[in-house]
Amino acid sequence: MNVQTAEEFLTEIQKKAERGELLYIGKELKRIDDLEKVLGSPIYTNDLIPRNTLYARLVLSKYPHAIIKNISVSKAINYPGVRYVLTHKDVPGLNESSTIIPDRPLFAFNKVRSTGDIIAAVIAEKPNRAQEAAELVEVEYEQLKPVFDPVEAMKPDAPKIHDDGNIIKHVKVRKGDVEKGFQQADYIIENTFRTQHQDAAPMETETAFAVQRGEKILIIGSMQTPHHVQAAVAKVLGWTLDRIEVIQAVTGGAFGPKSDEPPYDVASIAALGAIKTGKPVLMSMTREESMIAHTKRHPAIITHKTGVKADGKLTASKVQIVLDGGAYASLGVLVIVRATFHANGPYEIPNVWNDGYKVYTNNTYTGSFRGFGAPQAIFAAESQMDEIAKKLNIDPLDLRLINMLRPGSKTSTGQLMDESCGLPECLDAVVKASDYRKKKKLYSKQDGKIRRGIGIAMLHHGNALGPEGNDYAYVHLSVEKSGKIHLGTGLTEFGTGAISGLAQIAASVLGVPIDYFTIDRPNTLVHHETGPTVASRVTVIGGNAARDAALKLKQKVLPVASKVMGCKVEDVQIVDGYVYCKEKKAKSLSWEELVKEAYEANIELNALGYYMAPSCKWDEETGLGSPYNQYTFGAAIAEVEVDTETGLYKVLNYYVAFDVGKAINPKSVRGQLYGGTVQGLGYAMMEELVHREGYVVNPNLKDYYIPTSLDIPEQIQTFIIEKQGSMGPFGAKIVAEPPVVLPGPTIRNAIMDAVGKGVNSLPITSEKVYKIIKG
Amino acid sequence: MAQMLVKLNVNGIEREVLVDPDDRLLDVLRDEFGYKSVKEGCGTGDCGLCTVLMDGKPVLSCIVPAFQAKNHKIVTLEGLNNDPLMKKIQDQFRAHQAAQCGFCTPAMEIMGWHLLNKKKEPNKQEIKEAISGTLCRCTGYYDIIDAIYDAGRPE
Repeated sequence: MNVQTAEEFLTEIQKKAERGELLYIGKELKRIDDLEKVLGSPIYTNDLIPRNTLYARLVLSKYPHAIIKNISVSKAINYPGVRYVLTHKDVPGLNESSTIIPDRPLFAFNKVRSTGDIIAAVIAEKPNRAQEAAELVEVEYEQLKPVFDPVEAMKPDAPKIHDDGNIIKHVKVRKGDVEKGFQQADYIIENTFRTQHQDAAPMETETAFAVQRGEKILIIGSMQTPHHVQAAVAKVLGWTLDRIEVIQAVTGGAFGPKSDEPPYDVASIAALGAIKTGKPVLMSMTREESMIAHTKRHPAIITHKTGVKADGKLTASKVQIVLDGGAYASLGVLVIVRATFHANGPYEIPNVWNDGYKVYTNNTYTGSFRGFGAPQAIFAAESQMDEIAKKLNIDPLDLRLINMLRPGSKTSTGQLMDESCGLPECLDAVVKASDYRKKKKLYSKQDGKIRRGIGIAMLHHGNALGPEGNDYAYVHLSVEKSGKIHLGTGLTEFGTGAISGLAQIAASVLGVPIDYFTIDRPNTLVHHETGPTVASRVTVIGGNAARDAALKLKQKVLPVASKVMGCKVEDVQIVDGYVYCKEKKAKSLSWEELVKEAYEANIELNALGYYMAPSCKWDEETGLGSPYNQYTFGAAIAEVEVDTETGLYKVLNYYVAFDVGKAINPKSVRGQLYGGTVQGLGYAMMEELVHREGYVVNPNLKDYYIPTSLDIPEQIQTFIIEKQGSMGPFGAKIVAEPPVVLPGPTIRNAIMDAVGKGVNSLPITSEKVYKIIKG
Repeated sequence: MAQMLVKLNVNGIEREVLVDPDDRLLDVLRDEFGYKSVKEGCGTGDCGLCTVLMDGKPVLSCIVPAFQAKNHKIVTLEGLNNDPLMKKIQDQFRAHQAAQCGFCTPAMEIMGWHLLNKKKEPNKQEIKEAISGTLCRCTGYYDIIDAIYDAGRPE
């Protein structure tokens, strides 16, 4: 092996730097936060509790809609091992546990609106004692007439679930003249699509631990947004924020519900319990509690009416989306916004009329979940495309090629697509890889019992918050004397690797290898309030803040290097942990030496990075404008094999391409493509949290099926397309959520290709496939 | 409920612990022995995250009463952290980014270790079957399968 001299090494990295090559961007670096995970170290909330901890269990409503006449805890409180029973009477501040609309009490007191409503929490020495005592809490109810169908709930004479009507939010898109568009059409196609309750089922349930420390309370928990949890607990306790320290423990999966209201519940209950008993309290939902009492993906009823010319050009699209919001508004108020803005799919359509409604029912409440309204909207839009293609007797691929968004086209809200629209490249990648045209022809000539089919779906996905709130982030960098760099932010990691990606971005700007970085645990008393960790926005919004922090830090160390090495500041370069002057390559410092010099020169080595996305402009009444700063694009193709005698089918191959602008860590991006696809496969094929008359029938992982390793296709071929966006660092776009969207419509369309008819509701069970074949 | 004194052998350490008849092995391993790699994902024997080895065979510690573990040898991930094969598996989990949220990782690694001890160089279908009782919600399994596959190959 050739041993490189220091000078050769420096020449090499300098050449790389001159070529603009990024040393840590676009590289499949190892994550810097997973060593403890593979060792099984104690890092999750449940692992960190002291021995004298008490345990809380929930008492949930027995009815979906009822007046509470009386709550008696006397039997429960006297049960062996029980220390306290919390009810609404124990709330010193506001009995409220809500994100946007204050419609949900922490503890139900005058009425219950779903079987997921929390009435009390039993605190005991052991979890099973708490569980047994929870059964002894006596609640007297007077049942009210419930309503479970969201369309029924919209009618003026439907039972009222809250004081006002049941329509929580109505979102509109009005573009062009939709009636004129239908008149111009040669065909009008109308269909209704339905989707189901999906449970996020993160492997770790909602969990929080609390202990009182003097005037303060410390909360450690599993969550996406610690600062929101802090504010929620402050409201319940009636305390100021500075007395509430919330630390996000390593979080065992989240997927959305942990950004919504459930973490407020567990944190508030643990905090109240700790205050009442004087002992540390753990509120860790059982799987059953979680699957009943946390937010799920909204079921949707979506009607499409589309006008199309004989040549395949779309002239008009009218879409109505009704989301079953369950008993409370939650972040679902924003879910309907994203669903309505994406309702027509990634197509240029001159005339659009969309109505989106989020509606109260007496089902358990629904809210934030990976995709945030897009899985429902795109399932309907992309299924409708194949129905249109069938009517016109043209290839679904050609229909898409005629109408899809490209640079220069305009979305349903009239937003102009710039050069960063990589949808054509995504489609091309999966069409080529799957050999679509050839297989389509081949499969059209089948007549046996076992038939194959191939289907396409694609999407556009508005990046980050857009209409969902102020899109800002803080990232803090500070350097120890040893040279180690701490990255601290209120943004959180819950599996994706995005925070490790922030370190890659900061490393790249600073010129210091990622190994020097360590990620501090998010803490509300240490880190700035930095908005929610939702909408896959860490890389794009947090990434810009990380870049800003690294630039600021660099401005602090460059003058030190200049002084020590005796060259101009602008001639100092830091590459791969080495500091040198452009003209005097032989003389160099290591990062550690530079940091030591800075410490000795009394230079404070920390920097607060900040980024706020440009504000998005759109009209509330018409939806017209640019609700998002940039878009991610994706396309997928599935091949299925259907047994036409039984309806049994399997996905043979799956191809997926995403335009992610710039993959900061391609390995992590693929991890999201795989994981999102398989979660979407569950949504498409098997997952349904069944509600019967307001009761969850299958709140466990035995009867609620999530995909196992035997349910996944042989392989998923992934393609990363990079059409740099205008907003993210290095042109990055978001990626974590949208892969979950495509399996539903892709598989549906592939089955339609195989058997001639499509299933218009999720999940696509074999029974449904059998029925469309036979019926 | 009458408590009982049970002698347990966990990761080679023998200790007597006082348990209730309804105490789960899962809780005793976590609370009495401090082996926090053993995770609870469901508490009903459906997710596989509480998997430990009992006399070399995988069992679900959330549905094994603690007292039933007496006279058996229990091994958790902590007991294998110095094992060369387990180290190889852990390295591959990192190389493939197979630990996303990490909550299923200890159980996945134990199932991988158990398989690789039974069968050298298993194929991917055999790996899929071996981990089919262990749920993961983040990765879609592909990177986990690849990590175990590569750990089973010669360097």
